[in-house]
Amino acid sequence: MDGIWAKIKATNFFKSIYRNDYPDTPRSRVQVILNSVLLHLHPVKVPKSAVKFTYTWGLGGSSVLMFLILTITGVLLMFYYIPSIPQAYFSIKGLETNVTYGMFLRNMHRWTAHGMVLLVFLHMTRVFYTGSYKPPREFNWVIGVFLLLITFLLSFTGYLLPWDQLAFWAITVGSNMAGAVPPAEYVGKYVRFALLGGYEVGQSTLIRWYTLHVIALPLTAILAMAVHFWRIRKDGGISSPGESGDVKE
Amino acid sequence: MVREGEGKVLPGVGVEVKQETEKVFTWPYLVRIEMIGMLLYLVGFSILSIFINAPLRNLANPEVTPNPAKAPWYFLGLQELLLHMHPALAGVLLPAGVLVGLASMPYFDRSRSGIGVYFSTANGKAIAIFSFIYTAVWEIALILIDEYLNVLGMPEGSHGLGPLLKFLLTPALGSQIAAFLAEVIMPIGFILLIPSLLVAIVKRVWKADMREIMVALYSFFFASFVVLTIVGSAFRGHSMALMWPWEVGHPEEPLQ
Ligand code: HEM
Repeated sequence: MDGIWAKIKATNFFKSIYRNDYPDTPRSRVQVILNSVLLHLHPVKVPKSAVKFTYTWGLGGSSVLMFLILTITGVLLMFYYIPSIPQAYFSIKGLETNVTYGMFLRNMHRWTAHGMVLLVFLHMTRVFYTGSYKPPREFNWVIGVFLLLITFLLSFTGYLLPWDQLAFWAITVGSNMAGAVPPAEYVGKYVRFALLGGYEVGQSTLIRWYTLHVIALPLTAILAMAVHFWRIRKDGGISSPGESGDVKE
Repeated sequence: MVREGEGKVLPGVGVEVKQETEKVFTWPYLVRIEMIGMLLYLVGFSILSIFINAPLRNLANPEVTPNPAKAPWYFLGLQELLLHMHPALAGVLLPAGVLVGLASMPYFDRSRSGIGVYFSTANGKAIAIFSFIYTAVWEIALILIDEYLNVLGMPEGSHGLGPLLKFLLTPALGSQIAAFLAEVIMPIGFILLIPSLLVAIVKRVWKADMREIMVALYSFFFASFVVLTIVGSAFRGHSMALMWPWEVGHPEEPLQ
């Protein structure tokens, strides 16, 4: 076995994919991070205190994972979903009964969506209680608050799409809330109109929220996340007790 | 360039991030946690998705309003507030204010001491726990008062501080001004009073510094989210009346 493995590793094809040896020496452990598109989001080294699980509880990373699962299951759902009234409802019904693993697919998308809202909220709470919003990370905290808002909006726009009673009335409640922007007669009314694409929740609402849900908001989230991760590196990496020296301003 | 163990001055901000921290290689010490975490989440959510199905009710029908009509769980805190104050306040001004408040937090709390340590100071944890309980007691008390306060003569079916105030002031001020005072001004009063009093207490009892005040305020926000969301989802049933979780059941909806 070892012989075959060594031969595979010696091929040009293998070497073209993996540019370095299995990372078990300091040198190769540096290289593996630098040579891989996914791993290079990380620094080569991290504070020992930060990999202690009970410091971050892995919450930021878990939020990323939720987003990835949601993207994959979401794209698969798009193969079946029809953003039209009343086909939307029946396409979901059909997905549940006629499509192999359709119910499973929908469940994964739904439960990880709830999971993401919860995990992002808890991540923010972790960041807060460890004082990680303090300088120089102020602006990354601001980006975080924006990501929280986007997470809520992603989840809420998705809620309408099955076009069942639950969806319809939740969105009615929600858009009435938004319609209360004061002064309601002058501003709120138009906010509500813009959200619904009319005076009532209907076809134009569905297509608006669908577009927001499958493209506008995910793209915004990806952009904001890119900045978020970039800023973590630029702000000196993840926070740790060793750095709490006073600011030289 | 930055060498290990040296301070790094971040461009533009003039803030020195001292890197006196002991470091370990990302591979394998971080990558392995990420891989195991990923597997556990995938397995966990797969099991959940095999056994619990996402809800799908009847086809949407604008003619049939379910009772109660509820938003998704993370908005039920706001929906709960809607029962106690003007919708512009509960649904727009307050959430917007909370987001702005959260975002501006680091621009008030500028000291770098206590970074990387849970609760930062010796008193931090006690302040957080106190703030949580303090907030929960206030909010549960106000919810109960609003549900059950009913003075003789108040209009049929109305209850709570706001309607009482409106009822008392209407003869003197007219219904519009009375409603404004009851639904906007009084709730704003509580929204300002509860955290201000909290800050005054932690300053007095613990001689709180800026970070500890922030701990108190965030805990107030966190507790509010938790308490209001739980009340809104588990304790509100038919007509949004307060009831025990086992009485809440599913929204009543005629079969189609
Ligand atoms: C889509 C939502 C979000 C994603 C995917 C995300 C992801 C991450 C990740 C992977 C980290 C690395 C450390 C860790 O895992 O804890 C991180 C750190 C951080 N996040 Fe987020 N985050 C999100 C939302 C937020 C929110 C809502 C806030 C705060 C309002 C926030 C503020 C921060 C800050 C300040 C750091 C640096 C923490 C430190 O240095 O200890 N993030 N985020």
